[in-house]
Amino acid sequence: MGHTATPEAQSGGLTATEHRLANGLRVVLSEDHLTPVAAVCLWYDVGSRHEVKGRTGLAHLFEHLMFQGSNSVKGTGHFELVQGAGGSPNGTTSFERTNYFETMPAHQLELALWLEADRMGSLLVALDEEGLENQRDVVKNERRQRYDNVPYGTAFEKLTALSYPDGHPYHHTPIGSMADLDAASLEDARAFFRTYYAPNNAVLSIVGDIDPEQTLAWVEKYFGSIPGHDGKPEPRDGSLPEIIGEQLREVVEENVPARAMMAAYRLPQDGTRECDAVDLALTVLGGGESSRLYNRLVRRDRTAVAAGFGLLRLAGAPSLGWLDVKTSGDVEVPVIEAAVDEELARFAADGPTAEEMERAQAQLEREWLDRLGTVAGRADELCRYAVLFGDPQLAFTAVQRVLAVTAEEVQAVAKARLRPDNRAVLVYEPVADEAEDAEAPATDENEESAQ
Amino acid sequence: MTELASMEFHPQPQAGAARPWAFPAPERGELDNGLTVLRCHRPGQQVVAVEVLLDTPLDAEPKGLDGIATIMARAFSEGTDKHTAEEFAAELERCGATLDAYADHPGIRVSLEVPVSRLPKALALLADALRAPAFDDAEVERLVRNRLDEIPHELANPSRRAAKELSRQLFPASSRMSRPRQGTEDTVAGIDSAAVRAFYERHVRPATSTVVVVGDLTGVDLDDLLGDTLGAWTGSPAQPRPVPPVTADDTGRVVIVDRPGAVQTQLLIGRIGPDRHDRVWPAQVLGTYCLGGTLTSRLDKVLREEKGYTYGVRAFGQVMRSAPDGTGAAMLAISGSVDTPNTGPALDDLWKVLRGVAGEGLTDAERDFAVQNLVGVAPLKYETAASVANTLADQVEQHLPDDYQAKLYQQLAATGTVEATAAAVSAFPVDRLVTILVGDAAAIREPVEALGIGEVTVVTAE
Repeated sequence: MGHTATPEAQSGGLTATEHRLANGLRVVLSEDHLTPVAAVCLWYDVGSRHEVKGRTGLAHLFEHLMFQGSNSVKGTGHFELVQGAGGSPNGTTSFERTNYFETMPAHQLELALWLEADRMGSLLVALDEEGLENQRDVVKNERRQRYDNVPYGTAFEKLTALSYPDGHPYHHTPIGSMADLDAASLEDARAFFRTYYAPNNAVLSIVGDIDPEQTLAWVEKYFGSIPGHDGKPEPRDGSLPEIIGEQLREVVEENVPARAMMAAYRLPQDGTRECDAVDLALTVLGGGESSRLYNRLVRRDRTAVAAGFGLLRLAGAPSLGWLDVKTSGDVEVPVIEAAVDEELARFAADGPTAEEMERAQAQLEREWLDRLGTVAGRADELCRYAVLFGDPQLAFTAVQRVLAVTAEEVQAVAKARLRPDNRAVLVYEPVADEAEDAEAPATDENEESAQ
Repeated sequence: MTELASMEFHPQPQAGAARPWAFPAPERGELDNGLTVLRCHRPGQQVVAVEVLLDTPLDAEPKGLDGIATIMARAFSEGTDKHTAEEFAAELERCGATLDAYADHPGIRVSLEVPVSRLPKALALLADALRAPAFDDAEVERLVRNRLDEIPHELANPSRRAAKELSRQLFPASSRMSRPRQGTEDTVAGIDSAAVRAFYERHVRPATSTVVVVGDLTGVDLDDLLGDTLGAWTGSPAQPRPVPPVTADDTGRVVIVDRPGAVQTQLLIGRIGPDRHDRVWPAQVLGTYCLGGTLTSRLDKVLREEKGYTYGVRAFGQVMRSAPDGTGAAMLAISGSVDTPNTGPALDDLWKVLRGVAGEGLTDAERDFAVQNLVGVAPLKYETAASVANTLADQVEQHLPDDYQAKLYQQLAATGTVEATAAAVSAFPVDRLVTILVGDAAAIREPVEALGIGEVTVVTAE
């Protein structure tokens, strides 16, 4: 593989080198000697979009099984060894990938590599019915805790199901359904591993206080003998028309504390300039406390207790812009909806002001500095760009791409996409005496983690 | 049936030589107006963290106006003598900054994070907010209404509902700690801009405040910068307020907050115990970690990894309020959620784990693991400026020396298994725990009563 050790212009001085083992494992290394820590991050190119009907939630359940031991590691030994070495391990599953990571004191890096290689090459030696039954129960309790037992907890799942049609790979979320979790068998888990857990379906990044030559030698020693294999089916096509073409709608009557209007807009795929442009549009409209929707609904009209937009960037299907407004007092949803439509139409007609562009770009720039400010964040972004876009170096220039977007481009994408006929709307109407409680979880809704 | 793997296996590698790391020592100083300054240069941290501590404890709130400290904290970012509320928010975001403020028992914390290139402008805005907040009538009224709208959302959240009930159960009604930090519908409704301004004038001044600045300060003349911004803040001198003693009733008992039909039961099992001024703290940290610090700790080993009753149960110690003389207290608690049908069995196992620690003690291996993790993760935990600033601010707030955290690591390493066991047992005595269960009373009451872990009462959720 080609090496790139010279910083790209405006990459903030960060560099990374790329390598490939004979078995197909891609490796990205990035040095940073400021703190004696090293992050190991492994992305497998498999997520809930690869799941088949009747087996939703399998990728995430499988991620839990990766912490149940492998040939050289007993039971929960992975957690024990990493934590006992002063490290911090976890794994998460999203629509498009499963990642495993551990941040270690730098002198414990070799242990993390040995552990990741052991389970990549030998998980099935240890995988058994007892571990599966146990983690099935744990994951079902994760689902109850994060979604089923909290008010509005299943909103994201419902919006996703509305936005991506039945049969589409993104129609269901990574947590999966209770019935499918119950149905998952040991043979399903084995087949899943054999299909997707191969060195040539993964990217390993190592960032921090490392000696690149020594690190690469360890990677070769521990991962080099794991056989690569092909036969991974292409994920089902995620492409959809640019516009939904009608306003989809679902009214949910549940025991929630207040009325709410949520909506999902179909937006450009990640990796495109239009996606960066729409990120800026959503920030101007609904990011932070100087956004147009916050100023209109919370400050001026006082019809909402909270109002904001979020962007779920997706590379294999249209991205999703998520609007979330909780009403104030007795305000009815049509009042909110009319105000939202008016603000979005005005934005499409006039575009952002120069000052709004400056604010939105400053906010997104800080978010990037935060993400790249830790070795773990940097390792994750390097994997992301390597797996989804084939080039880890793009991580270091992402912020420059956001800053290069013009106000005209932001207006154009808003005009084309932020329209009533391009959204799925979810309306919550409170009813008493049902079996639901609580507030939306603060956790990241589009991914599930092992702990 | 198992499978053979075709890879080449190697023995578990040994650790290399540890590279030195120490919790950073801040430099302490004072501005002419009496504001205490702690600063800490962290190379590479481009996002600077600024924490301001105000000596506005919740027990200083006027009677009947619980929540006024929260409203004041929020009102800091709703306009100044130079900017309206909307302009202020816009100016902050133009710096790429975030500004958060919240009120807790010891006082108000205002946290600013901003890229170092825009630190001067953001510090000027922060100084304006503290020096000359507008407290505009209409903005305060909006914050009050907004806060009233938030309360039903909080009461509907199982973990927040449990926390509210535990405070009400543990502390005497006369104590501010027994009541919600951010006030109730009755108290918040009575707050207006005049009351907020009076509270500000009485309690907010530079002489009793501290600012902590952490980040890559290369090329930043922080003295000049602080002098021009927070240095312009004026106020009268004042004596620090006395800290009222903390008392709690930890008679073993169970309170079920009824949520008919809930698919899980939220558990919160707690009492109060020593804070960081007590010599037992390092042992208590170790013992609590061994009990419920991670998914391989005693509680999750059984409740999660053996039984699958839960996604995870954690034990923790969290300082409520500290006093210079050591009379402060920490909340010691176990929390998590378990599925409704297994609520009884899960609590039964939880008590067995507690009795097991009391009976057989922790093992040396458990203690060693806890030390290796807690001490070993320090360089990871303190990688960002914000995490360092937060801990430095905690130390000030809790009347601890600036080198407290650095020394704590040495103390943890010097604490043995026997001390850790003793601390865990005295932190979580099986007959002196108040258990809050937010769940379906009709389904869980009987099995919980059968456990004999204390008298069971049921309250209705509002």
